[in-house]
Formats: sequence, C-alpha cells, structure tokens
Amino acid sequence: MASRDIVAYETPWTKVFHVFSAIFVAAYLVWTLLPIFIMFVSSFKDLLAAFQLPAIGDWSGVGVFFDFTPTLKHYQSLFTDNNFKVYMLNSLTAAAGSAVVSVVLGAMAAYSLSRIDFRGKNDLFFGIISTRMAPVVAVMVPLYSIFRSLDLVGTLTGLILAYTTFNLPFAIWMLKGFFDNVPYAIEEAQMVDGATRFQAFRSILPLVAPGIGAFVVLCILFAWNDFLFAAIIGSGGAKTLPVATRELVQPQNIQWGSIMAAGVVTAAPMMLLGLVIRRYMVAGLTMGAVKE
Amino acid sequence: MTEITALDLSGAHPPATAGQSLFRVREISNNVEARPVSIVSETPVRRNPSPSKIYYFWLMAPAVILLLCISIYPFVWLIVMSLMDVGIADQHWNNFENYIRLAKDARYLSGWVLLLKYSALCMFFQLVIGVFLAIAVNNSRFEKFLITAFLMPMMIAPVVAGLVWYFLYNGTFGWYHWIFQSVGLLGSKSILADPATAMWGIVIVDVWQWTPLITLITLAGLKRVPRDQLEANMVDGASPFRNFVSVTLPNLYPVLLIAIMLRFMDNFRFIDHILVLTGGGPGDATKILPIYLFEVSFKFFKLGRGAAIAFTLLVVTIILGKLLVRIFDQAPASRAHSEEN
Repeated sequence: MASRDIVAYETPWTKVFHVFSAIFVAAYLVWTLLPIFIMFVSSFKDLLAAFQLPAIGDWSGVGVFFDFTPTLKHYQSLFTDNNFKVYMLNSLTAAAGSAVVSVVLGAMAAYSLSRIDFRGKNDLFFGIISTRMAPVVAVMVPLYSIFRSLDLVGTLTGLILAYTTFNLPFAIWMLKGFFDNVPYAIEEAQMVDGATRFQAFRSILPLVAPGIGAFVVLCILFAWNDFLFAAIIGSGGAKTLPVATRELVQPQNIQWGSIMAAGVVTAAPMMLLGLVIRRYMVAGLTMGAVKE
Repeated sequence: MTEITALDLSGAHPPATAGQSLFRVREISNNVEARPVSIVSETPVRRNPSPSKIYYFWLMAPAVILLLCISIYPFVWLIVMSLMDVGIADQHWNNFENYIRLAKDARYLSGWVLLLKYSALCMFFQLVIGVFLAIAVNNSRFEKFLITAFLMPMMIAPVVAGLVWYFLYNGTFGWYHWIFQSVGLLGSKSILADPATAMWGIVIVDVWQWTPLITLITLAGLKRVPRDQLEANMVDGASPFRNFVSVTLPNLYPVLLIAIMLRFMDNFRFIDHILVLTGGGPGDATKILPIYLFEVSFKFFKLGRGAAIAFTLLVVTIILGKLLVRIFDQAPASRAHSEEN
C-alpha cells in the first residue's frame, strides 16, 4: 500500500477516470470469467440444452442459458465409459515425477551455483536457461527421434524425462535466486560446530522450503497443463488429461457435455493449486525477474 | 646486551634471528617514538579450509549430466538431423537440401510473417488492456479479490482453453458467436471459418488467457514506484496524468520490457490453443511457423525438414533469450530502488 498516503487531488478529470476505470474493471471481470462460467455450467447440461440459443439480436432471451435441469451424467461417463481415472493418474505421475526429479537435482545444482564462482559460469547459466525458453515443438523434433530409438515413446518415463527438459533448467534458475538470499555465514557457523558440508547444506533447506514448495507446485502446473509433449511423446501408453480431453473432439460427433466436463476435471485442480501459490505466481511466471 | 635479551619477549627466537631483534631495539632507542614489536606472524593461519570447488561440482554434476543427455545431446542431434533425409528406418546425408528448400518454401516464409503478426497483435492488446487494468486495480478496495479472479484463465490448460473457445465460437450454438452476430460484427460464418477473421479468433483467446500476466507484472512494478518522486512532482503542481507520464511510466519501463519479452517468447513456445482452434487453417491463414513445424514433423513425419525449420526457430529464440537475460541483469537496479521505501 505504498502510495495510499499520497494526497490525491480530485479534479473533474480524475473523477471521470475513476468511473471509467471501475466500469472497465467490471467489464473485464465479466469477460475473463464468462468462458470459465459457461464451461462449468455447460458440463451439467444435457446435449440438447447446450445447443439452445436465443434468436440473433434477441438480448432478452439470454435466460435460455439457465433453462435446463442439471445432470451429472457427463462426469459419470468420463469415468465409466472413458478411462479418465487412468489418464488422471498418468497426468499426476508425469507431473509429480518430473517435479520431484527437477527440484531434487535442481536444488543441488542451484545451491552450488549460488555458492561458487568459476570461469564460464554465466555461459553455463545462460545455456541452462535457454533450454527453458526454447519453443516446445522445436525441442520435440530431436527428442522424439531419440526417444523413438530408445523405445521411450508412449511411456511415462519418457514423458517425465521430456517434462524435465523444461522443469530442470527452470528449477535451477529459480532456486538459485532463493539460495542467493541465504547468507553463507549460516553454513559456516554450522561447519564450525562440526557439521559436514552436506549437513550444512541440509540445514539451510528449511529456510528455502517455502520457495521450493511453491516451485514444486509450479512445475506440476506446467507439466499437468502441457499438451504437445503428451500428445507426441506420450501418445499410446501414457495418455494424460489434456490429450484425452482433446480426443473427445471427433469430426462427426462432438460430445460437448463430456468435453466441458473433461475441461472442468482438467482445469479445476490447477485453479485451486494456483490459489495456494498465488504469492509466488508472478515470480514463477516471469522466471524470477519480477517479484511481488 | 642483557637489557636487549630482556626485551626479546617471545624468547622462542632461534639464535639466527637474534641479530634482527638486536637491530630493532637499537632502532627504537634511536627513535624517540617506541613501537611495540609485533609477535603475531603476518599471515593468519586459516581456521577454515578454503571452500573446495570440487565438492560443489559434484553437487552440480547430476543436474548437468542429465541436462547434457536431455537437452544438449538432442540439440546436437537436431543439427545432424537437419542435414539429413530422415526416414523411418534409415537416414542419409542430403547435402544441405533441407535448408535450400526452406528458402524456396512459401509456407515457411509466410509462417514467419504470420508468427510476427500474431505476436505483435497479441502483444499490443495485452499490453494496452493489461497496463490499464493494473492502474485501475492498483490500491482499489477489491484488489486481492480481483487479482485472484484475473489469475483464473492462466491456470487453465491451453488446450482446454482452446476447446472452450472453440465451443463459444461455434457457428450454430456458440454463445460468443451469437454475441458477435447480435452486435453485427460477423455474419453467419464462424470467426474461425473465415480466413479474414481466423487470426483475430486465436488472438482473442491468447489475449483472454495471458493479459492477466501483464497486469500482474505491471502491478508489481506499480508497487515500487518511489513515493517521494510522485509526491515531489505533485507538490510542484503536476496533474495526476502528468504524474503518470513523467514518473510512473519511466519507473515501469524495465518491468514492462520484461513482460514484453516473456510474452513474445511464449508466443513462439505455446501453440496448443491454435492447434485446437484452427490447426493452422482455414487455408494457411493461421499457420504460424511453430504450427507449420508441427505439421511437417508430426503429421507428415518429414523429420529432417522439420529439424531444419526447428533449428532456424531455435536460433532466433536463443538470440531473443540472450536479450532477455541482459534485461534481467539490469532489472535488479529497479528492485534495489524499492527496498528504500
């Protein structure tokens, strides 16, 4: 609340601005939440109800949208007719697996990068982060070719490795920022007291734990929401939720109710997780360049 | 001689140094000012062993080795692949033909143009809406609630977002299509079905999903605009608008630059929603380069040509990334600024 104490002079123009910005924010709120709301409501609609629209230009007929009896059958069919339980488990395994690998290895690397200097460190650092910024499709071309020859296509191991190509550099980059904030004196004190180097490293982990925790969630978020890797490298044996949702779209017969229900199943957990780590969201999405 | 040995406090001096201490004592007696003789050796003994780098390198090794396997090796392999004709079973050298063909490939070139156009359009709207939104929301009573609501689209998987919008855009039962029609913006053709409007269709989805990121970044920047500068300017009689232009905006500049670079690169990176919405069509109207690359590599399985396209795309991204890192390095200056408040 840094600037709240400033005396704000009310002029006619600022009043106009305030009213205008309030309207703008309200309109934006509707615009940003409406698609989510429609997805949510449509997932409870029967097929015919989802197709109902008022006549063009008939704004008073908008009430048609709420004219339906809610049904849970789309959700039921996802888990009985489709194997969504398996896909969910696949998504979870792939996301959590890569998050754990990335954070464990990433924490060790980030810690040592934060503690020492050596020639070429900046180049190494840039090399590490540039893999994170590369276009997914471009990375996938050689990765697919390699994984195919190793029989990793269509396995969860392959998918975990593929996600790690992005999450590990990201982990090193972000966690280094966290370790940089911990003074070396703490480890020194530990070592004077007789701790080994590794024990000293472990002793400062609780200090960076909140950051690491938020970071695990971010890794899970990226992997869970990914489509391209899952569609190509996971195709066959390791189908994840986004891919399964996409496959519900068939040229002839589009099951909108099921698709919207699958969308809710895919999106809802991540929206909840997003709320939990809201505080770290900006830092995470800007790779630590901006902190809230 | 007796008084000299008495001054030799340590008493541990071997005979060879006796002459030295003798010399010093004589010097002291010559000078009026007497200085105590230091008995501490000049370089202190290191209590802690110097931090051994080897240990840290070992700690770093697993991550570096894994990265070598899953990102450096594939990168090298990408270059090799781009020089070869890659079939299902065999691959052979084809004399740079992949690259030569790219220069004549109209779709490849238009892919770049469309990619730039798509990025520019997305960026323009995201920046204008996002920054204005941040200013409107800043210090409002409902800031926390609003930000949480704005975050929601970013959490949704891009594919799911694409599907939801595909549903909303649908020409026969889509609610947004109904709105467009009722307002008179569109005819009966869905926004995605017409080559003239399809690009707008995908831009709208990207703007919907990622404008909040710009808002969040700008908001973080607004919080650290130095209060004293704003106040000083106001005392000097600047209007709120003038204050914004001459104080807030320059302070926001580094943060906005980061936001722009990040979004620019993300437009290169993520094509999930475009794949779902148009798949590059109608015709080639939305076939931005990554989509074309996806088609060549994973629809027609021309991995060699795909690799050549991927390599050019990667080179551009790496240059952009280098720029971004340079901007990051300059960012702490503005960060240190805020800590004074």
